[in-house]
Amino acid sequence: MSNIINVGWMYPDVLNLHGERGNAKAFELIAKKMGIKLNIDRIDDIDEMVDFDKYDILLFNAGELKNIKVISEKLEKQKKELNKYIKANKIIFATGTTGALFARNIERLDESSFNGLNILDMDVKERNIVIGDDLYYSFNKMDIMGSQIQMIDIVLNSVKPFGNIKYGYGNNGSNNEGARYKNVIFTNSLGPVLVKNPWLCEYIIKLALKNKDIKIRPKKVNYDLEINSLESTKEFIEKK
Amino acid sequence: MKRLWFIFVLLGVKFGNILCKIFNKSGTMISGKVAVKLQKDFIKYFRGIDYNKVIFVTGTNGKSTTTNLLAHTIKESGKKIATNKEGANMMSGVATTLIKNSNLFGKFNKEFLILEMDERSLRNIVKLLPGKNLCITNLQKDQVQRNGDPDFIYQMFKNSITKDMTLFVNNEEPRSRSLEDYAGKTVYYSIEKNSKTFTKNDFYDVTLACPKCSHKIEYEYYNIENIGKFKCTNCNYKSVKKANTTIKEINYDNYTFKCGKDEYKVNYINPFYIYNYALVIAVCKKYGIISEYIKKGFETFKNPADRREVYKYHGKTVHYLRIKQENPETMQNALDTIARDKKKKAIYVGLYEIKDFKPAYTNTFYFFDCDFKKCVNNSVLKYVCFSKTVAYDTANRMIYAGADEKKIKVYDVEDDFDIIFSDLDSLKTDDIYIITGMKPYKKIKAFFEKGDKNE
Repeated sequence: MSNIINVGWMYPDVLNLHGERGNAKAFELIAKKMGIKLNIDRIDDIDEMVDFDKYDILLFNAGELKNIKVISEKLEKQKKELNKYIKANKIIFATGTTGALFARNIERLDESSFNGLNILDMDVKERNIVIGDDLYYSFNKMDIMGSQIQMIDIVLNSVKPFGNIKYGYGNNGSNNEGARYKNVIFTNSLGPVLVKNPWLCEYIIKLALKNKDIKIRPKKVNYDLEINSLESTKEFIEKK
Repeated sequence: MKRLWFIFVLLGVKFGNILCKIFNKSGTMISGKVAVKLQKDFIKYFRGIDYNKVIFVTGTNGKSTTTNLLAHTIKESGKKIATNKEGANMMSGVATTLIKNSNLFGKFNKEFLILEMDERSLRNIVKLLPGKNLCITNLQKDQVQRNGDPDFIYQMFKNSITKDMTLFVNNEEPRSRSLEDYAGKTVYYSIEKNSKTFTKNDFYDVTLACPKCSHKIEYEYYNIENIGKFKCTNCNYKSVKKANTTIKEINYDNYTFKCGKDEYKVNYINPFYIYNYALVIAVCKKYGIISEYIKKGFETFKNPADRREVYKYHGKTVHYLRIKQENPETMQNALDTIARDKKKKAIYVGLYEIKDFKPAYTNTFYFFDCDFKKCVNNSVLKYVCFSKTVAYDTANRMIYAGADEKKIKVYDVEDDFDIIFSDLDSLKTDDIYIITGMKPYKKIKAFFEKGDKNE
């Protein structure tokens, strides 16, 4: 087994709303600082059959609901391979509205609806008013700070939330944020959340190392700049 | 009955305007607000408006400049026009414009009505004021806190367009151009490849989804970020070969370009402006306005909304570029301006929390829509990132673009420009660039003007 972590950057042009290419850059930069070999492939064509066996991490950035519907239909054709990928504890990291891709049902404002891939047991309803705000939550003793441009409300059914809200709207104004099933992780925090929170990026890379049984001790990385950003944003939020 | 109420409201607000003038109070903008408050569909009852000569201008970037340029150019041709040049581009602003340009019975007294339109207000205004011309400059990400993703606005545009409208769209902007499917007639405007045209081939470069089939859009070249000759990788959607109006032979040094056989001389020139000129020429053509008048309009146009200023400060040249925060295109435009200057320089970037709408928040994600790499090179001696909350994220964006961390200085202070610009005099360059949002404009301007007096 190779000691390289392979990331599939899914449909970078189609799932591209709020500077999310930063997440792909974060994987490259943080892995480099950790001393981990990491390769990123772009999967540009939504008609392309995805070689799920090749990848350890699949990155699905935020996209528009109308495009999510098309991608859902395309990936449904590879559902068997996708389920095998998830069963093997491989990682999917999805942000923003793209959470809908993994949901059960998506109800749109025009009263139409479509099915997601039904991997995360949750339902999605499009909002008619946008909520834009900071989003601050905790996960696994980590503070995650980001932004949220919420176009959907999410109701979790049996799936567990990914984090607990400290400030912000999260899934639907309750205290739960995102969702997680095995290593399929979804957060509403869009944009380059892994740039702002490199400790989350590091967590995902370490998870992939563990899955692949790569026994390399990662180098310790200095995150002073990002910690300063976190602290200053916390201060800003406290004053709201 | 409604018409009677309209006359009553109209007379009331006109009388209010007279009182404001007498007492030297600026109340003209309030009149539209009051009128709409008293009668929701107030603008519907004006008479004498030729809807064929109502021109709406909307889009993410350039709508104010284009509206001002269009209004100025049509006026130069001798036509009587009314416009909301103050940028009051919602229902109350339109009402104000109509109040100012009508008689006591609500009869519109101009030939053309040229209106800048807020993207979100367009649909409701078109229902009451069924203008027959819609110009869309472009449809990009902007004010995401209220506009969400571009498709949110796209749907609003789509629901505003009628089959008896003529739609004027940029042939090189995939999203807004695809609205052609909903209009009765579409006029395409375009600019040819020129010396500022560029291509992209970096691994991390991204485009957008085809608005018609959700597959990837590819660009043969770009004239501006996200605007250039494009095609979908799946369906047949692409820039048309021959647009109705195409600007060519652009000479940025001489401030000239050609359209058809005519050469135009202008006061402002960059690719953004040239698209605006192309749109204005396209609209003028529809009304048979001859090129001599258009030329005159362009030559005499002064843009009140230009966001660039240059100061002389202690022997240094300070280029101050203001951007609309949350809007990657204006940020990119500023970065491209800096990148074109090959001299040694220092770059100061002050991006703030977004406070346009409640709640205020710290959106820094749009930095990653922009290409900072162009500005990260050996000619930059120092990068200074300032503002209370966002300065660290700004610095991090520079690092992700490859900037040398040793050259970056962060000031996490709000508006203390004595500290932020404290080492400006000692910099070994005379070329200084500052990028900020609109918020600190007055304080920065005052800081450098004070410096001038001290020289």
